[in-house]
Amino acid sequence: MLVIENLIKKYGDFTAVDNISLEIREGDIYGFVGPNGAGKTTTMRIAATLMEATSGTVLVDGIDVREDYLKVRGKIGYMPDFFGVYDNLKVDEYMDFYGSCYGLSRAEREKRTDELLELVNLRDKKDSYVDTLSRGMKQRLCLARSLIHNPELLILDEPASGMDPRARIEMKGILKTLKGMKKTILISSHILHELSELCTHIGIIERGKLVYSGEIQDIMRRITGRTILKIEVLSEREKALALFREQPLVEDIYGEENSFELSFSGSDEDMAELLRHLVLQGIPVKTFVKEEGSLEEVFMEVTREYELENGN
Amino acid sequence: MNLKMGIKRNPVITSEMKIKMRGWRTALAVAAYLAVLLFIGFLYYLTFIESSYSYRNTVNAFQEMGIQLYSMLAVLQFSLLILITPAQTAGSISGEREKQTLDLLLSTKISSFGIIFGKLISSMSYVLLLIITSIPLFSLIFLFGGVTPGDMIKLFLFYIITVFSVGSIGIFFSTVFKRTVTSTVITYIVIFFLGLISVILGIYMIQAQVRGTGHLTNPRIPFILYINPAVGLADILTAEQGGVSQFLGYNIGTQTGLDFWIINSIVMMTIAAGLLYAGVKKINPIHRKKKRKKQA
Ligand SMILES: Nc1ncnc2c1ncn2[C@@H]1O[C@H](COP(=O)(O)OP(=O)(O)OP(=O)(O)O)[C@@H](O)[C@H]1O
Ligand SMILES: [Mg+2]
Repeated sequence: MLVIENLIKKYGDFTAVDNISLEIREGDIYGFVGPNGAGKTTTMRIAATLMEATSGTVLVDGIDVREDYLKVRGKIGYMPDFFGVYDNLKVDEYMDFYGSCYGLSRAEREKRTDELLELVNLRDKKDSYVDTLSRGMKQRLCLARSLIHNPELLILDEPASGMDPRARIEMKGILKTLKGMKKTILISSHILHELSELCTHIGIIERGKLVYSGEIQDIMRRITGRTILKIEVLSEREKALALFREQPLVEDIYGEENSFELSFSGSDEDMAELLRHLVLQGIPVKTFVKEEGSLEEVFMEVTREYELENGN
Repeated sequence: MNLKMGIKRNPVITSEMKIKMRGWRTALAVAAYLAVLLFIGFLYYLTFIESSYSYRNTVNAFQEMGIQLYSMLAVLQFSLLILITPAQTAGSISGEREKQTLDLLLSTKISSFGIIFGKLISSMSYVLLLIITSIPLFSLIFLFGGVTPGDMIKLFLFYIITVFSVGSIGIFFSTVFKRTVTSTVITYIVIFFLGLISVILGIYMIQAQVRGTGHLTNPRIPFILYINPAVGLADILTAEQGGVSQFLGYNIGTQTGLDFWIINSIVMMTIAAGLLYAGVKKINPIHRKKKRKKQA
């Protein structure tokens, strides 16, 4: 659906996007994560035909964004990180306006407007002026707007930025609905865990370089790879300790009286196996809790690894 | 280009019209504009009556007053239009940038041409409204005689061409500058200097020609004057006396039978088309189509 090959964008001497290549297949939800100034917006704007690359190729459904950009625009729904609305325009007129910019017929526009306002929960705001909406509502409206022509690919640049927690959850819900509708989505954020529930793929970008790109399960495995197990026993401390020591998957043990913290590198199945062992040995287990490693840790690690590999 | 994005189907036009016609602002502005024209016209009428009441009952006197009143209103309306038009167009694209709506517009299937064309027509529509509503006022002058409907059609056609050209300058600068304030100021400065410099240069060149050839009759009208709509207006208003070529010299259109104002209009429209084309190129984010040829 979206193929980026050796994309480079320079602003004068400054390289904002440095040789990025990635591929997003139909139905993928690709999360683009990186700190401020990493080059997310720049990449997305190039894909949305709003900016020209210095070099490299971007294909949307096989079409070069530089060649038939009008056709590409018909396939893309773009939501910028910052945007404004017109004064003196009502919500349904706003949708209607953009609908006609995509060349939709009146009947199609009306139908889509109704459907989409329903989707983003703005149905009762249909007759309000767009400039009177709250920020979160404007963001949802802009998302609806980007969907008006039923695009195959959505490019969403931090759609939840500046929203309060409740609005974020609401936005997430809408995005999940879109995921259910089998849309292909490229979405950016600078918070990794915000995307983890939603995305099928994650790309981590830093200072213009794509330092990691892969399936969300990969990232999750890395997290599982650094699982901390919290185990408490009622008695039999020594027996438990001996058992932990002979487990190859247990890398580190911190013990304090009857409670332990294990650094565990196995899967969920391995974990169950460990618990079975404990029980079979007759050790009275009081608690057995898995503590999630944080995505932010993984993020730091991936970035560090990349820098080590590339001698930077 | 995409002619399907015609006036009726251009969303920029439809939407801006909707916004502009909402509320009382436009209606009030039109009323105020007409009031100014009417008030000044009436003052002029009064002074004329005062100064010439000895022969005010003759048909000739009325005709003459009619013609004078007409010329005065024509110049007044021309000046007002030149003053109003840049303000309407100079913010059209920069305003979208300031509101952060330009990217949204550009990401849709509407072409850059459609956007520029839509902006031009919709900002022009307001000025056209002023022109159209002034028609009844101008028609009153028919009562005095001396002015024909043909004269008026010519004048109003020229207004529309002038407004279109001046408007294009505003559109062009609104694509160049990020801020509407800058764009507006630059547009006014450029229009003012184009008007002033073309006249100064034109007169200087006529004098130089006269000095050089020694002839006092019929020097060539310097080309720089063809960009100035004020000269075209003068040509239209002095048509009875033979137009501006009578005063300024030989008009390049004479052989083909074209009056100065027609050549003037063609030159202005050409410049305007060039500016609009530059504007279309300027807002289109994709400049060069990628060549698929591989280089060895
Ligand atoms: N028009 C521009 N001219 C010069 N430099 C620019 C321009 N736009 C962006 N940059 C630079 O390019 C780099 C990447 O910017 P970009 O907006 O793509 O980052 P981002 O990942 O979207 O960041 P954020 O999370 O803050 O939105 C930044 O260092 C920025 O300063
Ligand atoms: Mg950004």
